[in-house]
Amino acid sequence: MTGIKILLTTGVAFIAVYFFLRLRNSIFDIFILLLLIAAAVVFILFPDITNSIANKLGVGRGADLVFYTSILIFWFVILKLYARIRRLEQIITQVVRKDAIDEAEKMN
Amino acid sequence: MLNQNNSDSIFVIIPFYNENTVIREVIERLLPYNYKIILVDDGSTKSPVDILSDINPLHYLRHKVNLGQGASIQTGIDFALQKGAKWLVTFDADGQHLASDIESLLLPLQNNEADICIASRFLEKGKHNATKGRKITLKVGRWVNYFFTGLFLSDAHNGLRAMNRLAAEKINLKENRMAHATEFLLAIKKNKLRYKEVSASVLYSDYSREKGQSVFSSIRIFFDLVLHKLFE
Repeated sequence: MTGIKILLTTGVAFIAVYFFLRLRNSIFDIFILLLLIAAAVVFILFPDITNSIANKLGVGRGADLVFYTSILIFWFVILKLYARIRRLEQIITQVVRKDAIDEAEKMN
Repeated sequence: MLNQNNSDSIFVIIPFYNENTVIREVIERLLPYNYKIILVDDGSTKSPVDILSDINPLHYLRHKVNLGQGASIQTGIDFALQKGAKWLVTFDADGQHLASDIESLLLPLQNNEADICIASRFLEKGKHNATKGRKITLKVGRWVNYFFTGLFLSDAHNGLRAMNRLAAEKINLKENRMAHATEFLLAIKKNKLRYKEVSASVLYSDYSREKGQSVFSSIRIFFDLVLHKLFE
């Protein structure tokens, strides 16, 4: 086992523990999480698998394939988060607006 | 000319954020017209209530936190509609508009020629003292608005507008910050409202220039618009 493998698997392990402690709400979430962790660990320990997948897809190295897909995933995550922030902003606006109008009604 | 009874159902909505030094003068200039005034304080650090305590026909609404000018205008519109407004006017708090221009914006509405009138500083000569940078920004803004809404107005971003109840009921500003000028155009387009541009002055004082938006905030508006299109 090389140094990088130890480093990455410990990282994944820490994230996994953190998630299980914080977000253990539904079976589905845990299932997806377990799947992702398993995939991550497998790819870390046997990087040749990503290499062969990458070659099939026309990408030179496995590491590059991982890089490209993670860009896509992060893009998606950012959009999702942004949509959620907007929703939150709208909710706050509604609450503040209602409060402002109610207060003004009370004064008259 | 408008008669007294009529001005009872005219509501002037002033979005306010920390313009404490000029707000009294702005409101005093509106008073002779007997409009109902709604001041929407967008969570200013220092409440203007002390300065305005003796001005009586005034509705004061306060956002507990700062949301942005678009949100303030929408709050004002909601409140005015609740109060039975027939005609609604939006008016900037920094003193860049003339109170006397409101009548000429209301005229097409009251003659039932339009549902919403938008002030423009570029229809006649000598109605503005915008700097060169701002003029260029507004010119680009026209095209941006055209690109997003299909409406090509002479003034891209003017805080002075008047609308009838029908139009106000259709307006639902979701952009809390400054992209609301374009959102008005989107609402016009979507609801097939009759609109008209009316010539009105925009006179920046040193105060409003300092307080107002810089040319760079137009970039922010542009991105708000792009995201608005993406997420609505």
